[in-house]
Amino acid sequence: MSESAVEHVTAPAHHAAAESHHPTAVQYLVVAGILTVLTVCEIGVYYIPALQSVLVPLLLILSAGKFYLVAAYYMHLHFDSRIFSGLFFFPLTLAALILISLTLLLGFLAHHPGP
Amino acid sequence: MAAQPRPIHAEQTSYLEGGGIYGWLTTIDHKRIAVLYGVTAVFFMALGGFEAMAVRTQLMYPNNHFLSAQTYNQFFTTHGLTMIFLVIMPLETGFFGNFLIPLQIGARDVAFPRLNALSYWIFLFGAITLNLGWLYGGLPNGGWFGYANLTERYYSPGPNIDFFDLGLLVLGVSSVMSALNFFVTIINMRAPGMTFFRMPLFIWSILVTVILILLAFPSLTVGLIFLFMDRYFDTHYYRVIAGATPILWQHLFWIFGHPEVYIMILPAFGLISEVIPVFSGKPLFGYPMMVYAIIAIAFLSYGVWGHHMFATGMGPVADMTFSVTSLLIAIPTGIKIFNWLFTVWGGRLRFTTAYLFALAFVIQFTIGGLSGMMHASPPIDLEQTDSYIIVAHFHYVLGLGALFAILAGFYFYWPKVTGRMLSETLGKWHFWLAVWSFNATFFPMHFLGELGMPRRIYTYAPHMGWDFWNKWETWNAYIIALSFIPLLLNIYWSLTNGERATEDPWDARTLEWSVPTPPPIYNFAEVPTVTARDAFWVAKYGSVEASGLTQSAPAIAPALVDVSKIHIPAPSLYPLLMGLGIFGMALGMLIGWYRVIFTAMALLVFSAIAMAFEYPNWGEENPHAVAESFLGLDSRKVGMWSFIGSETVFFACLISTYMVYKSRSLGVYDAGILNIPLTSFSTFVLLTSSLLMVLALAAFQRDDHKWGTIWLIGTALFGCIFLGGQVYEFGDFWLEHGMVFNANLFSQCFYTLVGFHGFHVFIGVVWLLVMAFAGIFGKLNAKRSLAVEICGLYWHFVDIVWVVIFVLVYLMRTVKGA
Ligand code: HEM
Ligand SMILES: [Cu+2]
Repeated sequence: MSESAVEHVTAPAHHAAAESHHPTAVQYLVVAGILTVLTVCEIGVYYIPALQSVLVPLLLILSAGKFYLVAAYYMHLHFDSRIFSGLFFFPLTLAALILISLTLLLGFLAHHPGP
Repeated sequence: MAAQPRPIHAEQTSYLEGGGIYGWLTTIDHKRIAVLYGVTAVFFMALGGFEAMAVRTQLMYPNNHFLSAQTYNQFFTTHGLTMIFLVIMPLETGFFGNFLIPLQIGARDVAFPRLNALSYWIFLFGAITLNLGWLYGGLPNGGWFGYANLTERYYSPGPNIDFFDLGLLVLGVSSVMSALNFFVTIINMRAPGMTFFRMPLFIWSILVTVILILLAFPSLTVGLIFLFMDRYFDTHYYRVIAGATPILWQHLFWIFGHPEVYIMILPAFGLISEVIPVFSGKPLFGYPMMVYAIIAIAFLSYGVWGHHMFATGMGPVADMTFSVTSLLIAIPTGIKIFNWLFTVWGGRLRFTTAYLFALAFVIQFTIGGLSGMMHASPPIDLEQTDSYIIVAHFHYVLGLGALFAILAGFYFYWPKVTGRMLSETLGKWHFWLAVWSFNATFFPMHFLGELGMPRRIYTYAPHMGWDFWNKWETWNAYIIALSFIPLLLNIYWSLTNGERATEDPWDARTLEWSVPTPPPIYNFAEVPTVTARDAFWVAKYGSVEASGLTQSAPAIAPALVDVSKIHIPAPSLYPLLMGLGIFGMALGMLIGWYRVIFTAMALLVFSAIAMAFEYPNWGEENPHAVAESFLGLDSRKVGMWSFIGSETVFFACLISTYMVYKSRSLGVYDAGILNIPLTSFSTFVLLTSSLLMVLALAAFQRDDHKWGTIWLIGTALFGCIFLGGQVYEFGDFWLEHGMVFNANLFSQCFYTLVGFHGFHVFIGVVWLLVMAFAGIFGKLNAKRSLAVEICGLYWHFVDIVWVVIFVLVYLMRTVKGA
């Protein structure tokens, strides 16, 4: 029936939109480079004795950076509809809260229940 | 545009007609699936009701011996599990959700009709698994929350708890699948103009409910997997002797469990919010506040789980926090109750049976909410917990609450579902008998609780002051059973002699009443365009506020379309076969027959592949579907992202357990064993694979299918190298260091967490290889790049999880756990 007609009308517009929304191969390579550097830093931090006292915050920051880069560029949240970002970051926040509360409740608070 | 426009009424056939039994077994129509859920749930309601009657009979007299203590435990446990998982949930989301979502949002079906059928069959087989104890070994007997460590093999050697464990795991898969499906449907498949703030309240309630399901069930799943491992592989997740704590189970269970009670009550709110305006002759009062209230309740419901655990001694800080969050829930709940009352206020009331049930809900639910407020206070709860006052509380919110709302919805929607009217006279008999008997049975439980009667005791001594109310409650419980007789008569009478229902028998407000009764398979001959809230009312009377006395337009404008051109997806037997495969796997675990497990797995894989081939243009971006979708997004991509969201919570629970248990672990093995150089290498491998994946996608998007395929193969290859590293790592720990799976808390948590991640990588590699083959055979191109994109999303997610694991598990191994 009108299948091809519909395609004709909507497809070009849609594809044009899709193309401008996706990063190029060069951008991907840049991101990969940064990810590699961050990972090298992580491992470096782990092996440098002087940094042991700030190990946890440093590692958390570095891995958060990697996490963000993969989500934003490889999973193209940065370019996609913001709904997808919501679909990811809302559960992620919840997951983080669960992680923090469980470690608190079964760890710290179990030994220091309060006044 | 096509041949000859004809009025729809000439062509319409009801969704109920045709196909025979095979047609029902292979159906993927949301309305038929709704009926399947409904019929199944009613069957289980009878079974659960029978168990309740037996329990009540046992409690009628002190020192009674109608049931043995063992049978009593099985009956009250299975009664609770049945009512929650096999009655309330499947009626609310399975029946009403399936039937109403597409009809209320103006869609032809849900986003993924085959997945929908699959959800039903998995639900059915999960329900059977949960009830296998009728045939062999005994029903679950540890209470519906199955507290550890009584559920360990050592204390519960029989299969009872295995039925509980595997049954709930299977049911969880079904719930999450349909939640994902409904979520995508509501987000993406609304008719033009059906903006969020024009959606009927029932749709809002289901939307929020399915978000709760997606984000709460993973916690239960993790708890159940740990239980499974303890029982089958002799791990120590809930064993104090190994340094573990059974309280972990309580947390995992109630992180799921409290959202679960809102999974059961929000759809009830939604149904009530449909029924009350129609019979009050007024639009719902304060619609935006009602929406915000639902969202607020859902949000808060994640932060209150500890109120079930005051008696475990969490300490003042935790107690206070959970108490405050619990009390806060009263605010949005109160808003809802007042808004219902204001809707009734000053309306032109029509006291139909549906309306009566809805009004009774409002009052009775409030009573249950009030007792909830009482035990949200820790000192009061220490007094009340595990007493009959808790039983009174949850029967008021669930029995006199959710069930009454379901009955209101039942009387309201029966004509639309079956095409026949019910008798109002029999309906009123049912209503008054139910109101009396439910209240007479459950209200005195408050007194018994205050008199100190504990919950879950199979009998009691005389002269405790409990005799009278127990006898009274049992007699009234029998009246509850009797109250269903007018309902059954009514159903029979309606199906045989009932008056034929018109499209709009109640003069209702929303779109589902604008289609023929019973609806045709395609729902809407012409997809409606929505211009206002209460779209159908506006079409009839001109505005939302219109009194409804003077009709401005004919109720149903005869549409001029050729309905034979509407695309209806073909029925399929594979959902049923896949369900059977999952059931076979659960059964094989239970009886320990590996041959059964593998045969079932083969059946599962075969039917999954066969089903994939039923999609004619798999992976092709369907401009039709995307253009027609509400947000202009592809439903499969929305589905993938919601799945990833749900998985996030799953991994959070696994990681939390690892973090907590690594510092409680006893014995020789600890994180010192981990091999940092090897895992650093693996990390680079996985990161590189992600790069290759995006290159593959970019190649397909410019229609370069040669390089696309090469990069895909590369991705899969790097995935394999990663898996190889993991196999080497595990083998090294196991064979060289003797760190077996259940050596201690550290070893089991490590293997489970990293192993589950590895399993995800494995699935990803299989998926990539399938895609690579499609590429080799020239099946992938720019138009189908979406298939690559979705596979890529999954792959990158797996990579992201590794980013977290690498840091928290490996690089922070020396950091003393929280
Ligand atoms: C105002 C809102 C509510 C509050 C503050 C509240 C509070 C509580 C608390 C503190 C308990 C634990 C009592 C104990 O075990 O000592 C409880 C138990 C329970 N509540 Fe609620 N509740 C509320 C609403 C609901 C709703 C809407 C439902 C279901 C539709 C529900 C279902 C249950 C169930 C099933 C239990 C028993 C769990 C068990 O021990 O088996 N509650 N509630
Ligand atoms: Cu609760």
